[in-house]
Amino acid sequence: MRRIGRWIDERLNISPLVAGFLDRPVPGNIGWFHTLGSATLFLLVVQIVTGIALSMAYVPSPGSAYQSVLYIDQTPFGDTVRGIHHWAAGLLVLFIGLHILRVFIWGAHRYPREITWLIGAALFFIVLGFAFTGYLLPWDQKAYWATVVGTNIAGSAPLIGGAVLEFLRGGDQLGAVTLARFYGIHIWVLPALLLILVGAHLFGVIRQGIAASPRRHALVADEPGLSRREAYEREYAAEKIAGKPFWKSLLKDAVVAAVLMVVVVALAMSQGAPLEPQADPNATNYVPRPEWYFLDLFQMLWYFTGDLEPLLIFLVFTFGAVVFLLVPFIDRGTARHPRQRPIAMGLTAVVVVAIVGLTYVGASATPAGVVKVPSTEGMTQEELSGLSTYNEQGCASCHQIRGLGGHTGPDLSRAGFRWEPADVRRQIVSPKDTRMPSYDELTQQQLDDLVTYLTSLK
Amino acid sequence: MDEGPRLSRRSFVLRALTLVGGAIATVLVAPAVGFVTAPGWRSGRPVRFLSTSVAPTLRSNAWTAVGKLADFEVGVPTYILVDRPIVDGWAEETVPVGVQVVRQDEAEVAVFDPHCTHLGCPLAWSTGAGTFVCPCHGGSFNAAGEVLSGPPPRPMVRYETRVDAGEVLIGALPEGA
Repeated sequence: MRRIGRWIDERLNISPLVAGFLDRPVPGNIGWFHTLGSATLFLLVVQIVTGIALSMAYVPSPGSAYQSVLYIDQTPFGDTVRGIHHWAAGLLVLFIGLHILRVFIWGAHRYPREITWLIGAALFFIVLGFAFTGYLLPWDQKAYWATVVGTNIAGSAPLIGGAVLEFLRGGDQLGAVTLARFYGIHIWVLPALLLILVGAHLFGVIRQGIAASPRRHALVADEPGLSRREAYEREYAAEKIAGKPFWKSLLKDAVVAAVLMVVVVALAMSQGAPLEPQADPNATNYVPRPEWYFLDLFQMLWYFTGDLEPLLIFLVFTFGAVVFLLVPFIDRGTARHPRQRPIAMGLTAVVVVAIVGLTYVGASATPAGVVKVPSTEGMTQEELSGLSTYNEQGCASCHQIRGLGGHTGPDLSRAGFRWEPADVRRQIVSPKDTRMPSYDELTQQQLDDLVTYLTSLK
Repeated sequence: MDEGPRLSRRSFVLRALTLVGGAIATVLVAPAVGFVTAPGWRSGRPVRFLSTSVAPTLRSNAWTAVGKLADFEVGVPTYILVDRPIVDGWAEETVPVGVQVVRQDEAEVAVFDPHCTHLGCPLAWSTGAGTFVCPCHGGSFNAAGEVLSGPPPRPMVRYETRVDAGEVLIGALPEGA
């Protein structure tokens, strides 16, 4: 083995490069949080390996896609490979998010690493692009309907929306052309961009050196008259002198990669990869739900209504994306420690809480239209009858009771506390709000019981 | 060696390389990009400032019978799967396409595409509420296809319809709807 190594090295002279890479000094205070980037890279490799394997049996056509996925699941190791691809995809979105968060909190996006941030931000969008296009490929119900919604959101951009939608779908309709395009984008366009940008990102990391964890007080005393570049280089040189060789931090990365591998394989072997029934464009009772990592965006759409909705969505998404890309040019300054950046940390907390909150609300909200409010103990006969009218009439598609139901109309959980029975009755028969249909065809008995039930809620 | 502002041989070669390389790249990339983006500009649809969602329904321009007008109850939607000849990329085939038929009065009938105009989620008729309900963001429509609540920006999409000797026929969906 050694002899083969020497034989190759004599011809290619690689050993100085390898030694330079492994022995280069890096700051000493590099810890477990720094493994988030290498974990993301590791998951990308997992996706490439399993993705290539899956492409050997997958057929991107509406007539065959679903059947080819079933075939993959029945082939030895097929369900495991597909399971790994599925679970690692979710973890990839999670880890790239955590990596971004770590970099921002550590202030590592600051001078001189702005370009590395820009490339990393582009990589984040590429990963979301992978998720979005990969979704459609199994051609199951989730795939089809998530793509209907996703392409319509992309198509809501002003001016270019129509063209974007037709570009993504390959026309107006969602069919064979769409699937072929998504496949092409998923396995050729995005991987090509990914490899180029990952290369550039890593080049930036190695060229600039790994950013040291922020210190509240600099290692070297401030010296007036130094340029930003000189001051930075002095401090970073001091970090490296107090530091360690790069190879010493590699074991942590390996541990994280190994743990991730075990988790992903365990999930793949115990859970497999989910597959819903084959895509049915004519389904009428299917409730489209995105994967967890798009739930926050999906949930956000609840809060925009009206003619200007597409414009608002576009502005909010675009604003968010532009701010994210330009972070190193907005959050400047030299103090990198989180405690010295209260505003930046406060905004980060708001964003994290918003993402987690929207995801949670999106995950726990019961879809409108199919909700039935259950009875509770101690209800009278009239109240039970009123509740069944409430459920039969589909009131829950717009109203909530104890967290169940839609958001369009007012929450009725405390209706008896908020309104008089006469008002409730009037509102049901001839509503003031034109968005509510009038239920004037209920029998007197049904109406009485419904009012009794609603006013019993306090 | 050259002095002054004159171009050195080296920079001349580099500039020429850039020019030739750029030309080669353009000739290579232009048809590829043109081909891939063709669906986005081929239809030649006028650009609108505010875009709207587009139903994913497979399109057909053929007139297809959906049933006898007399068989539909006034004001009550009936969901029907109609076999329609469609073109899906390279495939020309006859596939079932779901539509909601609502007879408006003695002579009039409206046939709706059953997708929410918000983001295209599947609409179902809720008999109790007397509305089409969207499970995604709570949009609802009445039997005439008008928006009752929620985020949908416009009424349900209607097929071109005509009644021929008591038979209801549907044609194309409106362009870009």
